[in-house]
Amino acid sequence: MKSFEKLFIGLLLLIGMSHFAQAQINLDITKKVEGSGIPIAIAPFGGGAPEDFAGIIAADLERTGKIAPQPPQARADYSVTGQASPGGARGYIVQFQLKDAQGGQLLNLSFDVPANQLRPVAHRISDLIYEKLTGEKGLAGTRIAFVAGGGGAWYLAVADADGQNPQVILRSGQPIMSPAWSPDGSKLAYVSFEGRRPQIIVQDVYSGSRRAVSAAPGINGAPSWSPDGQRLAFTLSKDGNPEIYAAGLGSQSPVRLTSNGAIDTEPVWLPDGSIVFTSDRGGSPQLYRIGAGGGAAQRLTFEGDYNARPAVSPDGRYLAMMHRRGGRFHIAVLDLQNRQFRVLTPGGAAESPSFAPNGKMIIYSNGQRLKAVSLDGATHQDVALRGVARDPAWAPYTR
Amino acid sequence: MQCFARTLMAAASLALLASCASTGENVDQTATETTEQPGVTAQPGQEAYSYAYGQAPGNYDSYDTSGAGGYPGGGQPGQSGQSGQPGQPGQPGQPGQPGYMTAGGGMVSADRIVYFDFDRSEIRPESQTVIESNARYLTGNPRIITQLEGHTDDRGSREYNIALGERRANAVRQTMTAMGVSPQQIRVVSYGEERPASSGPDEQSHALNRRVEIVY
Repeated sequence: MKSFEKLFIGLLLLIGMSHFAQAQINLDITKKVEGSGIPIAIAPFGGGAPEDFAGIIAADLERTGKIAPQPPQARADYSVTGQASPGGARGYIVQFQLKDAQGGQLLNLSFDVPANQLRPVAHRISDLIYEKLTGEKGLAGTRIAFVAGGGGAWYLAVADADGQNPQVILRSGQPIMSPAWSPDGSKLAYVSFEGRRPQIIVQDVYSGSRRAVSAAPGINGAPSWSPDGQRLAFTLSKDGNPEIYAAGLGSQSPVRLTSNGAIDTEPVWLPDGSIVFTSDRGGSPQLYRIGAGGGAAQRLTFEGDYNARPAVSPDGRYLAMMHRRGGRFHIAVLDLQNRQFRVLTPGGAAESPSFAPNGKMIIYSNGQRLKAVSLDGATHQDVALRGVARDPAWAPYTR
Repeated sequence: MQCFARTLMAAASLALLASCASTGENVDQTATETTEQPGVTAQPGQEAYSYAYGQAPGNYDSYDTSGAGGYPGGGQPGQSGQSGQPGQPGQPGQPGQPGYMTAGGGMVSADRIVYFDFDRSEIRPESQTVIESNARYLTGNPRIITQLEGHTDDRGSREYNIALGERRANAVRQTMTAMGVSPQQIRVVSYGEERPASSGPDEQSHALNRRVEIVY
């Protein structure tokens, strides 16, 4: 847990600094994104710090699909230069400049950080550049949770959004499933089969403290946080078959929200408090929606022959899901405003989508590895992780 | 087919025919020299995964939240020597009968496994014998409790598969209780696709994974 405390303290430091940083930003330049992205030349950082700042920043920006990093001497719309050298009160001074093609300075910031925060600072710089050029919040400084291992040893891990710095927060001799972040990014709810039966656990990712929220007879599955972080929805089969329940974190008696002989599972909350879930009440698995207190279910999906595992975009407009057509599983998105349905991935074994906190990317698994696709389907990434990884959950922005 | 045609056209030597036979449709020599490593392959700039499964928790029920710092990556299922279910005298499943090692390391005898069709939870006619012999054992030993563990193949949503695995285990339970087994002797748990019996991507593996294990 120690490294998590460090990470947390580091985040606090960074947040403090970002206020300082924003105070210096007064130009407001955005550029329309076209083709392969905004060209930006990134020069290697001098100063001898033990991280490849230019490489990290270039990789971060490349992954956005909206910015195209170039070699230092290339003609580009923007350029980044910087330095990371020993010094300052904490160990290293990192400074960087973002300039436009005319040499006008858009960003000029410096950070005083300990050695173990050099990489987070590189991500922070990536996000500052991305936000400056696109007007959108960046993802380089965010984290993902996922399940690794299998076949006798399971791991719940949290890594940076680029797959680096993975930290195991739980290891178990029994399966772990379905991690879900609390809206404040401090806790994970997940399913653990420790004791050879499924339970829903809520664990603080910084302190490691954990407690069982549900250990009813039968299935305890698919936990999901309410938008205010005060309640959990999940699946129980204690009354005979899988139904959707919701419970306050403190209260002991979950309220049943569905009543059906079919499978009802995988609840997720929309911002208005209504709940979308998977049900095979119509014969095949499809997505349905019920009100905050249950009631009649409205079917949402009609494409293909299998739509399951919904994920809600942060603004509540889109539902991502796993979608089967022609025997292959894709990630698809339903726009709840205009009912437009789009398939984002080429197809295979795609499963378990989760939205990035800026709503622009969706991380998912092919059962073996983590991948990400942009909401418009234009950008595809592989998340670099060693070994098997599945069940990804993109962490919200931490304030 | 392609290989055959190309062999004819080129009036190939015996050696080429031999390579054709050994590599299926592929007569490209360079391709035959490439060995594919399924599963965990090192990505550029990453070291190969080297976690010893001996370090894994040796206990079924153990868990550990103090593992921060040591991310082991994933890996292939290891037979980590965990104890299986202890044998019960007189129950089905004698040593020497066909079975396989489960993901947890326990030996499950073939006469304690009920298999299912894709996306189905109906009991196949040929499974009646397996369920019947176990039901007979349970009615004759009313203090014995069995756990029915439902499993699916790895296609589809993981949580939906948990529900599907439970549906299968419940189908076996209902058949057993219809044969006179007390409901108090039966517990049901679904592992969905999380504990495959076979890890291959083919239909043969899928069929082995769609199962209910009758565990004592």
